[in-house]
Amino acid sequence: MMHAAAVPPRLRVGLWLETLGAWTLAIAWVAPLLYAIWAAIHPTGYAARFDLLAPLTLDNFTAAWNAAPFPRYMLNSLLLVTFVTGSQFVLGTLAAFVFARSTSRWTGLLFALVLVQLMIMPDMLIIENYRTMRALGLVDTVVGIGLPYVASAFGIFLLRQTFKQVPRELEEAARVEGCSTFGILWRVYVPLARPTYLAYGLTSVAYHWNNFLWPLVITNTVETRPLTVGLAVFASTDQGVDWAIISAATLLTSAPLLLAFLLFQRQFVQSFMRAGIR
Amino acid sequence: MLVTRRAALGALATSPVLAAPALRAQTPVQITFNYPVAVGGPITKVIDGYCADFGKANPGIRVRPVYTGTYQDSITKALTAARGGDAPQMACLLSTDMYTLIDEGVVVAWDELPGADKGWMDSFYPGFMENSRTGGKTWGVPFQRSTIVMYYNKDAFREAGLNPKTPPATWAEQVSFAQKLTKRQGDSVSQWGIQIPGSGFAYWMFQALATQNDVRLMNEAGDRTSFADPKAVEAAQYWLDLSTKHKVHPPGIVEWGTTPRDFFERKVAMMWTTTGNLTNVKNNAPFPFGVAMLPAGRRRGSPTGGGNLYVFKSASPAQREAAVKFARFLTEPERAAQWGIDTGYVAVSPAAFETPKMKEYVAGFPAAAVARDQLPHAVAELSTHENQRVTKALEDALQSVLTGRVQPAAALTKAQEDAERILRSYR
Repeated sequence: MMHAAAVPPRLRVGLWLETLGAWTLAIAWVAPLLYAIWAAIHPTGYAARFDLLAPLTLDNFTAAWNAAPFPRYMLNSLLLVTFVTGSQFVLGTLAAFVFARSTSRWTGLLFALVLVQLMIMPDMLIIENYRTMRALGLVDTVVGIGLPYVASAFGIFLLRQTFKQVPRELEEAARVEGCSTFGILWRVYVPLARPTYLAYGLTSVAYHWNNFLWPLVITNTVETRPLTVGLAVFASTDQGVDWAIISAATLLTSAPLLLAFLLFQRQFVQSFMRAGIR
Repeated sequence: MLVTRRAALGALATSPVLAAPALRAQTPVQITFNYPVAVGGPITKVIDGYCADFGKANPGIRVRPVYTGTYQDSITKALTAARGGDAPQMACLLSTDMYTLIDEGVVVAWDELPGADKGWMDSFYPGFMENSRTGGKTWGVPFQRSTIVMYYNKDAFREAGLNPKTPPATWAEQVSFAQKLTKRQGDSVSQWGIQIPGSGFAYWMFQALATQNDVRLMNEAGDRTSFADPKAVEAAQYWLDLSTKHKVHPPGIVEWGTTPRDFFERKVAMMWTTTGNLTNVKNNAPFPFGVAMLPAGRRRGSPTGGGNLYVFKSASPAQREAAVKFARFLTEPERAAQWGIDTGYVAVSPAAFETPKMKEYVAGFPAAAVARDQLPHAVAELSTHENQRVTKALEDALQSVLTGRVQPAAALTKAQEDAERILRSYR
């Protein structure tokens, strides 16, 4: 540890500014969350009034929980993100491996085509996707929500960049040891790309956990709908917003993600630094 | 036991065929009913209950209710599904979506459906039918309909020396009452006189003002607007003056969603908002409140709003018949009365207000009848071809007026030009 006095004054000012910036950002980020907690544990009347002695209550959580079948929605959301992210990993790994190591002269063109997908807003394709899902008989299924997203250009791109940095020597050494191509992929590339998987997995899970329009359009029943669609019951536009209940419901739905992030925070931060969505 | 893949596939392929004839004999007609939720409370349970009751009364028909989010989400979902060849048979969508649905060619007029006789379609309040008919055909059946009314805090009226039994009846009174109701402490204001929300449904609020100033913002065919009419400009100026000249309305844009809460917290003494809020205000206002018709400018007036029932073209003849039966079931006077009491929406037919249940409710809570009494002054909610784009042009103009960036005349002239460009091809 460096002693504070040893730091030159100019650096110290820089450090101060950095700390200040970090705190400002952190507070800006956490403020909505703190407000949600405040609003959720107090009666509705205190939503816009700050009073330390305000009575505490859990009624909002009970009301939110009873207004919609949350356990079922939670299960659906879990199934959905597991399916989507899992499939993205498998497909992304295979495709990225080819794009990173294939020597065919078509690779560049094909990769460019995959990247074109990044330019298209998913919402543009909503009708075409609906037709496809209907033709496959997947309307109102969890698979139907996830299927249009299983091939992710972003995931392929990210993994390809990571795989490209793997030294060829490692691959050759593995081959000398008698590894098959799949063996090399599984034993050499995948373990080295772990930070990328973690970082990409997090963004993907967060995106699909929060996705709203497509799940709403493609599903019809409680048995398939994810949390976001269930949460929309509280957006009662004709009446205005009941902040207390909507805060409680928001906390309920985001709790699993927040908990996971807090538990694995260190790994996430490290993997972002190493994979650096750069 | 060893099951080969081929055998399994074979079994799968034949079983539905074997089962089909037996099933077909007793399969009920199934219709899907998409509905939005725009008011708080366990509305999904109420609707699911209606569908179940209907199923019991009509064993040959099964209605599958599908909750589809807000009105905005609902129209997106219905149109996407319809374009994808999978439309619901019936849906509750905004009455203003009528032209959009007709232009898309996805709905069928009620007049062409079996069992929808003229007597039934004429049983609703004419004010609601204005938004449900065009070109001599009825496209929508009123279901969850609303209109704008004024809510006021009777305690605040008493404190300000006003009679809590007489709400303002004219624009001038509205200003003078609001001046008395605005409480100032130095530069800050602890209670505003009035709020007319300018976000979310600004065009709706503005239409009320414009109607009161005796100008109609669009024609019956939905292909012409008159946003730049001098009377419309006057109406916008009145709205702006409430905050800039008279200083009785918070400056800038007041949020739609938080206005009821401001009212409950006594930050404002009078608010304009939908009758859909009635039950909410009744349950949450911690003081005696009154409900009044909107004050008159040159005349009284308010647009109607809310959702109609539509039947989609893709429905089979049997499904169309079932849809009509279900719509008649939903709009039966007894049920319409109960729905109005539960939600605050205006019961859609005079007969509903004649039911003992409703009479008793109105006797104990006269505010419930204000919206009905205002209906003779009501006009159709702003609705044109390409409704979303035209409405957006007007909303943008109103926001620029309320934030003080553009003068009312200039802003509304621009909105009118935009609307002209969009609507020209529909004439």
